[in-house]
Amino acid sequence: MAPALCLDGVRLAYPQPGLAPMIALDVPELAVRAGSRVGIAGPSGSGKTSLLHLISGIERPSAGRILWNDADLAAMSENARDRWRREHVGLVFQEFHLFPGLSALANVLLPLRFDHLRVPPEMAERAKALLAEVGVASPDRSADVMSRGERQRIAIARALLRAPRILLADEPTANLDAETGAAVAELLVERAAAAGATLIVISHDQALLERLDVTHRLVAGRLVGAS
Amino acid sequence: MNPFALAWADLRRARWAALALIALIAVAVAIGVGVSAQERAIRQGGARAANDFDIVIGAPGSQTQLVLTAVYLQEAALPLVPGSVLTRVAAEPGAKYVSPLAFGDSLRGQPIVGVTADFVTRGGRLTLADGRVFASDEEAVIGADVKLALGQKITPTHGASHEKDAAGDGHNHEGVAYEVVGRLPRTGSPWDRAILVPIEAVWEAHALPSGHAAGDEKIGSPWDGENVAGVPAILVKAASVADAYRLRAKYRGDGVMAVFPGEVLVDLYATMGDVRAMMSGLALAAQCLVLVSILIGVLAVLSARRRQIAVLRALGAPRGFVFAVIWLQIAGLVAAGAVLGLGLGVGAAYGLSQLAEARFGVALPLSIGPDEWTTVAIAAGLGMVLAAIPAAIGYRQSIAAALKADL
Repeated sequence: MAPALCLDGVRLAYPQPGLAPMIALDVPELAVRAGSRVGIAGPSGSGKTSLLHLISGIERPSAGRILWNDADLAAMSENARDRWRREHVGLVFQEFHLFPGLSALANVLLPLRFDHLRVPPEMAERAKALLAEVGVASPDRSADVMSRGERQRIAIARALLRAPRILLADEPTANLDAETGAAVAELLVERAAAAGATLIVISHDQALLERLDVTHRLVAGRLVGAS
Repeated sequence: MNPFALAWADLRRARWAALALIALIAVAVAIGVGVSAQERAIRQGGARAANDFDIVIGAPGSQTQLVLTAVYLQEAALPLVPGSVLTRVAAEPGAKYVSPLAFGDSLRGQPIVGVTADFVTRGGRLTLADGRVFASDEEAVIGADVKLALGQKITPTHGASHEKDAAGDGHNHEGVAYEVVGRLPRTGSPWDRAILVPIEAVWEAHALPSGHAAGDEKIGSPWDGENVAGVPAILVKAASVADAYRLRAKYRGDGVMAVFPGEVLVDLYATMGDVRAMMSGLALAAQCLVLVSILIGVLAVLSARRRQIAVLRALGAPRGFVFAVIWLQIAGLVAAGAVLGLGLGVGAAYGLSQLAEARFGVALPLSIGPDEWTTVAIAAGLGMVLAAIPAAIGYRQSIAAALKADL
């Protein structure tokens, strides 16, 4: 069962020398049902990426609680949050962030290297199957020479490898042309549904947002409504 | 945890920069290793070549030049020791054998040295590789590297190899000829390129008294004091250590100078040791400079790779993994450079030894000793310790800031 997310009195503030702290994000309350598909939209600089960093445990809030079921990320140490993210979260970035010099398959398998000396054979098979499912035909080809659409598909396969219950995507279609973006959006939503994962997507892409259950709008660090 | 694949992929991607860094470290290490190995080889080779020369007696002057000429056959015009000294020394009871060393003639650049039969066999220690020891003043024994055949007749050229007449040649001693009757085994000393003839033959070739009564065809000691010409140097092999010290003391002053070549060499090496210490210091400074340069370069590269490291962390990489990826890359480069440097240093020292052997005839025994291993260990160890700095910085940076930054 995918966990539900609950933000309670979350604030993210950055100290400014000689000035009051700058409030980057102020979310008194936000609840996301387990297994739901949620979008976060808003203008540039509204705090969308900061919110994603908070709910993925990359960053710690200045105040408040971030609960994934009973696990409060705000109370965890950095090492604990790294471990939790490794075990529960699949991340997809706007710029793919694949590792140059590695093949498509090696990129997908990279997160397993964090805690395995050797990749278990069943995981290698799973990675190949995932690459085939997302439409990457040449798993042994270097990711460096693949198209942007292919690279984002590899990144999605990487995010799905550990069958995470939480999928977080930061502008996954922003660097793709409309046609490729639509295909990637469909893939992401379908794969999340198939895995029964909770999907949270930051995006400006209206076509992608329309595929989701609900989209929250963020302006100047505050949630101003949902559609 | 397996950081090797990622570390290797990164290195492979930046292979030219990595190879340049390895080469830089290798050269710095090679200088240190080469200087140290070469210096030891010179010391050991020099000492080995001087083994048979307990005491050398010459006319007062430069002790170093006397040893260089008598032991290492470096051409120089030495003042002569009166023949009466040779007669006296030859009669010393504490001398196992005594041999005058008379230089001045050559054959195609190879020195012809007047000696005694005892010197040829080093008092019986050496067995000839071929033939026999000379038995008359018309016979010669050649060193292992002299390209002459037994039975071949040679005419000496007056003057050492560098002394040429206007036509570019030394003049031959007309009417003087030696037949090669024996070949010495290799000794690893300049004497391997020498042609040894009886001292009497050299005196006669220069129209000097033969050292024996007129008509006496005998060679070797005892010489007749009346008819003994001067010689540039006298070698004394002492019967015992005590005899060696006694004889050296006895033949110092009064127009003669007895020296222990070993002692002179120690003085020479002390001077050389200062040069070596300076070279080693420079090599160490070069190694440190290279390591610091690499560290600065790595820190600069690290800044460019901030986002890649942040992505690793965002994907859940433990700090240890990030540390290991960065550390492995730098430590790997340093270790590869240090090992390559060891090979390069030894190779360069070997090349120099070969050149020195070809030029001076002294075999320089090359080996990798504790000094060389220490140089490599310091370079590799320091590099591995320093590699921890960028590795620690790498995993301490803020993931969120690096992911948001415009890199």
